[in-house]
Amino acid sequence: MPDYILEDVFNAINLGLIVVDADYTVLLWNDWIARHAHIRQDDAIGRNLAGVFPEPLSPTFLSAMKNTLAYGLPTVLSNALHRSPLPLYDLAGQKIRLHQSITISPLLSQQGEQYCIIQVSDSTTSIKREKMLRSHSETLRREVSTDSLTGIYNRRFFDEHYEIAFHNAVRQKQSLSVFMIDIDYFKDYNDYYGHLSGDKVIKTVAQTLKATLSRGSDVIARFGGEEFVLILLDLTAEQAEKYAEKLKDAVFNLAIPHRNSPLFKQVTISIGLCTGIPSIEYDILSKADIALYRAKQEGRNRCIALPL
Amino acid sequence: MQLDALAEVFNVGAGRAASSISEIVGDEVKLSVPAIEVKQSAEISPGILSLNDGRFGTVRQDFSGPFDAAAMLLFSEDNALEIVRDMMGSQMSLDDLAEFEQEAMCELGNIILNACLSAMADMLSISLNSSLPCYTVASCDEILDQVTASAVQDYILLLNITLTSARRQSQGHLILLLSSASLTNLIRHIDHFLSEI
Repeated sequence: MPDYILEDVFNAINLGLIVVDADYTVLLWNDWIARHAHIRQDDAIGRNLAGVFPEPLSPTFLSAMKNTLAYGLPTVLSNALHRSPLPLYDLAGQKIRLHQSITISPLLSQQGEQYCIIQVSDSTTSIKREKMLRSHSETLRREVSTDSLTGIYNRRFFDEHYEIAFHNAVRQKQSLSVFMIDIDYFKDYNDYYGHLSGDKVIKTVAQTLKATLSRGSDVIARFGGEEFVLILLDLTAEQAEKYAEKLKDAVFNLAIPHRNSPLFKQVTISIGLCTGIPSIEYDILSKADIALYRAKQEGRNRCIALPL
Repeated sequence: MQLDALAEVFNVGAGRAASSISEIVGDEVKLSVPAIEVKQSAEISPGILSLNDGRFGTVRQDFSGPFDAAAMLLFSEDNALEIVRDMMGSQMSLDDLAEFEQEAMCELGNIILNACLSAMADMLSISLNSSLPCYTVASCDEILDQVTASAVQDYILLLNITLTSARRQSQGHLILLLSSASLTNLIRHIDHFLSEI
């Protein structure tokens, strides 16, 4: 390839290239470097690299270059540990120093003279990209575990959380309280007031139940349709029953009218509760479900607690 | 005898690497190479490398000259992350580190490997060429596959490396893979060096 094409290649490349000889005299200064250093090629070629820049070069950069020239071994300067070893700036004229990753590779001429090529890449974009990807993945992770209607955890998150909480409780012989909660006569509510109003009720009930939680370990999730599930740790059976009463009262006190609720004429919930130290043999979740079924049978707007 | 001389070479290298790292960290870091062993590639096993389960951060540079070798520096993945965190200052969480890990570990490995190679070059009056450092995270089995797959490299030089900073002490391994011809050449150069003392 003719030399003039090679020069075009050096200048077209989207990477900073500097070649210096063993005395640190600049032999190559490509367009990328000229643009980011705001120093023209003519003002750099033939001069000592340290003298070309108006600002001092970082000591680690200088010793890396010295080592590469002395031993003929390549050196890398990571952006993580050095940020900005050379006084190079963004092109917007904001005088913002570029985040750089630098590679210094030894070159040997046919006459056996040692040179080195300094490659500079701009890490700003990759840092931005990483940050964007991370924030996207955080958003996705949040969305994957959130119920879109109510904003509380969804069934997927609950299933995973229950698995972990269950095994922890078995191992640490810790008591687990499972509350299965269902909105009473919800189908009748939907039929009479319409689905949009039904959604609103689900949302309000979810927020009301969530507002009763106080500890970081407490978890409430939408189990399905108008059904919710709550897991609390370390409560005695009495404490758990008291808590269930509190949940039931909180929803009752909302006093949301429900003409088709035969007894109460307002929105109420039924709760099935099971508290105990779980083990593989006893399924605390289905026990709470049985308790919920009994709460429905016994007239609704109530809590039934079953021992494990 | 030759092994002692080689251990000395690597300790000089480790000293140089430690001072470079200290400069970057702004805090004193010590590196030592307490032991050096020569093994046949065939007899290598996780036990000999004292590698347990888990994943390892590996920096590899292939070098050539009077003898050819592949140099691999191994730290357990957790250890590698902690070292990098120390080097970068504590303002970053381990999660934030993931993106910088590869580059920073590459540099750390590059500093240690270059220091050892240049110490060797100085003492044995030779010059070595090297590839750019390459960082990978691999399991113990994958590393052993790499070691044993290079059939031409029948020997390995095994060095345990201890990196001590104010906050922690980390154990790593430096492995040099050598062909028998290269090992012979290396020994010849060491003999020459010893005869000149």
